Amino acid sequence: MKPIVEVKKITKYYNSLHVLDEISFDINKEEFVSIIGPSGCGKTTLLKIISGLVKPTKGKIMIKESSVETALKRREFGLVFQNPVLLPWRNALRNVELPLEILNYKGSWNSPRKLLEVVGLKSFENFYPNELSGGMQQRVAIARALTFEPSVLLMDEPFGALDEITRDKMNLELLRILEEERSIISTVIFVTHSIPEAIFLSNKIIVLSERPATVKEIIKVDLPKSRTPEIKYSKKYIELIECVRKLLKKD
Amino acid sequence: MRKKIIEKRLGEIFLPISFFLGILVAWEAFVFIFNIPEYLLPKPTEIFSEIAKNLSSLLKHTGITMLEAAIGFLLGNTLGFIVAVIFSHSETAEKGLYPYAIALKTTPILAMAPLLVLWFGTGIISKIVASAVVCFFPILVNTVKGLKSVDKDYLDLLKSFSAKKHQIFIKLRLPNSLPYIFSALKISTGLAVVGAIVGEFVGAKEGIGFIILTSTYHLETVKMFAAIIMSALGGILFFYLINLIEKYIVFWQKTENSF
Repeated sequence: MKPIVEVKKITKYYNSLHVLDEISFDINKEEFVSIIGPSGCGKTTLLKIISGLVKPTKGKIMIKESSVETALKRREFGLVFQNPVLLPWRNALRNVELPLEILNYKGSWNSPRKLLEVVGLKSFENFYPNELSGGMQQRVAIARALTFEPSVLLMDEPFGALDEITRDKMNLELLRILEEERSIISTVIFVTHSIPEAIFLSNKIIVLSERPATVKEIIKVDLPKSRTPEIKYSKKYIELIECVRKLLKKD
Repeated sequence: MRKKIIEKRLGEIFLPISFFLGILVAWEAFVFIFNIPEYLLPKPTEIFSEIAKNLSSLLKHTGITMLEAAIGFLLGNTLGFIVAVIFSHSETAEKGLYPYAIALKTTPILAMAPLLVLWFGTGIISKIVASAVVCFFPILVNTVKGLKSVDKDYLDLLKSFSAKKHQIFIKLRLPNSLPYIFSALKISTGLAVVGAIVGEFVGAKEGIGFIILTSTYHLETVKMFAAIIMSALGGILFFYLINLIEKYIVFWQKTENSF
């Protein structure tokens, strides 16, 4: 089977600043892939290049065997940023409806109401962003990203601004949401700088080096498919943490 | 919680009023003790009895000035907003016309007022135009700023829905600029009244500026004070009206420092 996302020798310069250097990897359907690397190494830039929002200096991205521009037009990407990026003048429900409104879509995609229920905000439909906690706002952002059934969910440190307890909870919630909505979305690219988070969530981890970033290693996470918090005490999990930490340290 | 809000409100209303009353008492005492002639500084009691005596006439003149200010306000702000939207769509227009907008802003309205009266007569129109001219710049600058100051993440988000330019404008840029627009509108309320009164100074047969000017000629200082107070009340009312509308429209903005 052909991979959904093909990253082919992506190089990026911002003026004279060399950010990414010949980055290549593939992402298959139903994979949860984390991109991890030292801060400032260009993880976000890489994600933006994959989603077509930033152009690479050299190299190519293929999404389902077509160009990234076509993919952007076909709305193959659901984006979740570090900040929730909710419109403050719209309540939770109207924020989730925003993509459908822009696409002028009246068909039978996911009902925004149902998605809010899936992310656990059923009774918060009418709440405005400034009335919701950081974690709740991010849930709204996730629901919004799923409305138009994108092929790939791109998440840029989505829980980076949350406290650790909320973050752990949101990790579990994300897995639950993905499990429930497996028919909609099954492929996730997740940028993080938290090693435990990357291991807990992913099937595959792409470890980047310092800037200019290259792919240092691609690690397969062979933990059981359904993840529970107990995994965090398993030997395998701790070994993986050790392994990624060592890779990141070497620079 | 509720109690605190009530206390805060009380502070907002009660404190200014008590200070105001205190100043009036001090003023009255000052004029009385030093025996200051009425044509220099009348007593507050005299001013208020003057207002009470001529209330209908004062209200009529204040009404005219406020009408001029309000129409000028609407006109200037509408035009300024439209020009700002054009600027935000065309860099050529912005670069080519912005210096003239600044020139218009830096030319004192006092210097332009005689010309406006010459062109538009001593009636209501010259005052409306003067008001519109002073309202034009704040809304222009703020709207341009508001339309442009959209966070990059929001733009990326809308692009990922393949939003078109006009959709980005309507769904994102325009609502984003509302807080900026309202801060310009609030500045303009005072300016609009100034514009109208300046227009009346130059040539008018009615309005609060006309009353102030004629009472100077006749050394009717009491009347002048009455007129000044009426114009101030009109301006304050105008400001709070816009402030109230802002609270409904820009409800998501924290309005603690809304001045």
